[in-house]
Amino acid sequence: MGRTSSKEDAGALFHSLRSAYAATPVNLKIIDLYVGFAIFTALIQVVYMAIVGSFPFNSFLSGVLSCFGTAVLAVCLRIQVNKENKEFKDLPPERAFADFVLCNLVLHLVIMNFLG
Amino acid sequence: MRKFWVIFVASISILLPFLCNSFSPEIPTDRRVLVLLDDLAIKSSHSSYFNSLKSRGFDLDFKLADDPKIALQRYGQYLYDALILFCPSVERFGGSIDVASIINFVDSGHDLIVAADVNASDLIREVATECGVDFDEDPSAMVIDHIRYAVSETEGDHTLIASDDLIKSDVILGSKKITAPVLFQGIGHSLNPVNSLVLKVLSTSPSAYSANPKSKLSTPPSLMGSEISLVSVVQARNNARILISGSLSMISNRFFRSGVQKAGSTTKHEKSGNEQFFTELSKWVFHERGHLKAVNVKHHKVGETDEPALYRINDELVYSLEIYEWSGSSWEPYVADNVQVQFYMMSPYVLKTLSNDKKGLYSTSFKVPDVYGVFQFKVEYQKLGYTSLSLAKQIPVRPYRHNEYERFIPTAYPYYGAAFSTMAGFFIFSFVHLYNK
Repeated sequence: MGRTSSKEDAGALFHSLRSAYAATPVNLKIIDLYVGFAIFTALIQVVYMAIVGSFPFNSFLSGVLSCFGTAVLAVCLRIQVNKENKEFKDLPPERAFADFVLCNLVLHLVIMNFLG
Repeated sequence: MRKFWVIFVASISILLPFLCNSFSPEIPTDRRVLVLLDDLAIKSSHSSYFNSLKSRGFDLDFKLADDPKIALQRYGQYLYDALILFCPSVERFGGSIDVASIINFVDSGHDLIVAADVNASDLIREVATECGVDFDEDPSAMVIDHIRYAVSETEGDHTLIASDDLIKSDVILGSKKITAPVLFQGIGHSLNPVNSLVLKVLSTSPSAYSANPKSKLSTPPSLMGSEISLVSVVQARNNARILISGSLSMISNRFFRSGVQKAGSTTKHEKSGNEQFFTELSKWVFHERGHLKAVNVKHHKVGETDEPALYRINDELVYSLEIYEWSGSSWEPYVADNVQVQFYMMSPYVLKTLSNDKKGLYSTSFKVPDVYGVFQFKVEYQKLGYTSLSLAKQIPVRPYRHNEYERFIPTAYPYYGAAFSTMAGFFIFSFVHLYNK
């Protein structure tokens, strides 16, 4: 309802998101960049599998899971490190980072075994 | 006294090899033949045939069929290698011979020739039925052909038939073609069409039928045309060969020497084809021709020589064997291009034709299929007139061991790359995250 078209609404939404995002701290932006890189790698692998076929399926799963797994762990790190998050106010950021590193180590150990 | 014993022992040891002069796998041709006759006049009326057998080295033992002293075996060992029954009207065999002992004789691998004639007794008919051949049930029926009979000056009832419907097999009938027709006068028999072991060697034209020539025909004859076989052979699964003829007189000297002229044709042949037909056929029946043996079955991986205990899937292997044919006096290499080997487990996974080197060695190489289990190398060779070869050698096939797979699969390189790049990315990111102000 309103006289403005949906295209103008989308443009306004996009601008407001962009300006809000510019206000986030740099370390969170670095985490976001890492997550984006991991998801991008996973997407490349999925496209490759769609083209070539799923012959060594275990290798495909291992590659994709390593990307998604590390992305998920990075998102968890971001949640725990974000100062605006009331829930993790008392959690020291070092502890969050240590969890991140250990979980990633386990993840990559599993990936190397499953890679074949 | 001592000298006497020395001479005795020496002579026994020298003579002993000569006492073993019989049919053996090394020499498949029969040697000692028992010939049972109705009456001894047959010995002279069929002397031409018997002399041809003797000249090829057979020991013929002529006995009357009801002689009480005849026996096929003594103390469990067979005394003869083959049996000829030229006794169509015998009611009961003498001695220890009966239908069961004749069938056991054949089942143990020995050959048999049976000749029936008009008024053949039930005993001979029973022997023939056990061998897979059914004679006409009417005891006085003969084969009559009003179109393809042999012209003769005396008989006018057209029971003397001139036939040239011979089986097309060089092994059974020899490589020289039989140009003159074969004379026949006797009873016909029929074969079960399902039976794959029995073959019609001499058959009639479609115009022949089996009936009593002396009485008027009231019902349609039981055997007609192409159902009738005049002379048949059976090659049993143990490679024993049986010849069954519906006429004893076609083997007599009279028929061997007589000329023949087919009714309706003007060519008059000087000599009938009977002598050549029977001589060649008895060469086949007594294993002088068409007897194969397969030896030296070998298999190994390409590049090696010794036989492994088991193969792995996707191995390359070579299979070879040697096949020889008995020529009557020696083993000659058998040359054919249709011997096949199967790599068989419930169904043939690989079926390959073996290539031969013209000296009897057949070999081929193929790749083990991508299935593991216990396979057999099977050679099943059944060619018309030759002994059947049935060889099977079992060999297990194992799957890959865990370290025999491809180590790095090229298709999966992007995934390997992605996993390692993720690890590198994580490493770099952790530094950046820690040392970021």
